[in-house]
Amino acid sequence: MKSEEIYNAWKERRSQIDLRESFADEVMSRIYRYERDKGRPLFDGQRLIELISAHRFVKAGVVTAGVVAGLARIMFVVYNFLAC
Amino acid sequence: MTQETKVIHQILEGDTESFRHIVERYERPIVRMIRNIINNRESCEDIAQDVFFTAYRKLASFDPARSNFSTWLFTIARNKSINAMRKKRPVSMSELPHNSDAHNPSDELAEREFFGELDAGLEALPSAQKRAFVLVEFENLSYAEIAQIEGVRIGTIKSRINRAKKKLANALKEIRYEK
Repeated sequence: MKSEEIYNAWKERRSQIDLRESFADEVMSRIYRYERDKGRPLFDGQRLIELISAHRFVKAGVVTAGVVAGLARIMFVVYNFLAC
Repeated sequence: MTQETKVIHQILEGDTESFRHIVERYERPIVRMIRNIINNRESCEDIAQDVFFTAYRKLASFDPARSNFSTWLFTIARNKSINAMRKKRPVSMSELPHNSDAHNPSDELAEREFFGELDAGLEALPSAQKRAFVLVEFENLSYAEIAQIEGVRIGTIKSRINRAKKKLANALKEIRYEK
């Protein structure tokens, strides 16, 4: 094979792409979600739940805050009980 | 007013569904460009989705007097690719696209070897050279368009492309001498 033929065959191979059929639908549904969310208040309950469940660090933060609040509450009760 | 400009006006006036025309027209060139730059088949479609989403959100800032829509879109794709390359993991040769139509096993083997060498050569190019090379060779953009996307002079693009081509030609020569 000549260099030029090899090069052209390589270019052709790299130009072929197997794009998933739902690509445009996925982009459009993301855009529609964005448009829908634009019209909603920043912190309604449903949006807050979606926000928390969509990001694992936010989820972990909420769980950690819950645990810390629970422990603080237990310590407060125990402290009051011992103070009596 | 071009057909594309009309579509953009419709989108900006609230016809969101018209953006589908833009996605369908440019999905292949954008995915191909990103894949050839970052060389990761799994993430290139996600990055391309991000490109279109960003384009939609920033559509109002597109100025037809300053650039073509395609140039503007490729600029977004270029920026997203650079960000992705900063985070990317190394890619094995087996992940690269392979579609051989060679007829006998020795031809196929030789072809795979040449392709592998060219793939490795492309992967080894400095980022700016690789982007310029991909845009001219795979997307058939003009030097002027690439210069606008990269924000540099046409002369700089010409020299980046020449250097990239020389390196790939050397990669091919080396493997021919080894045989």
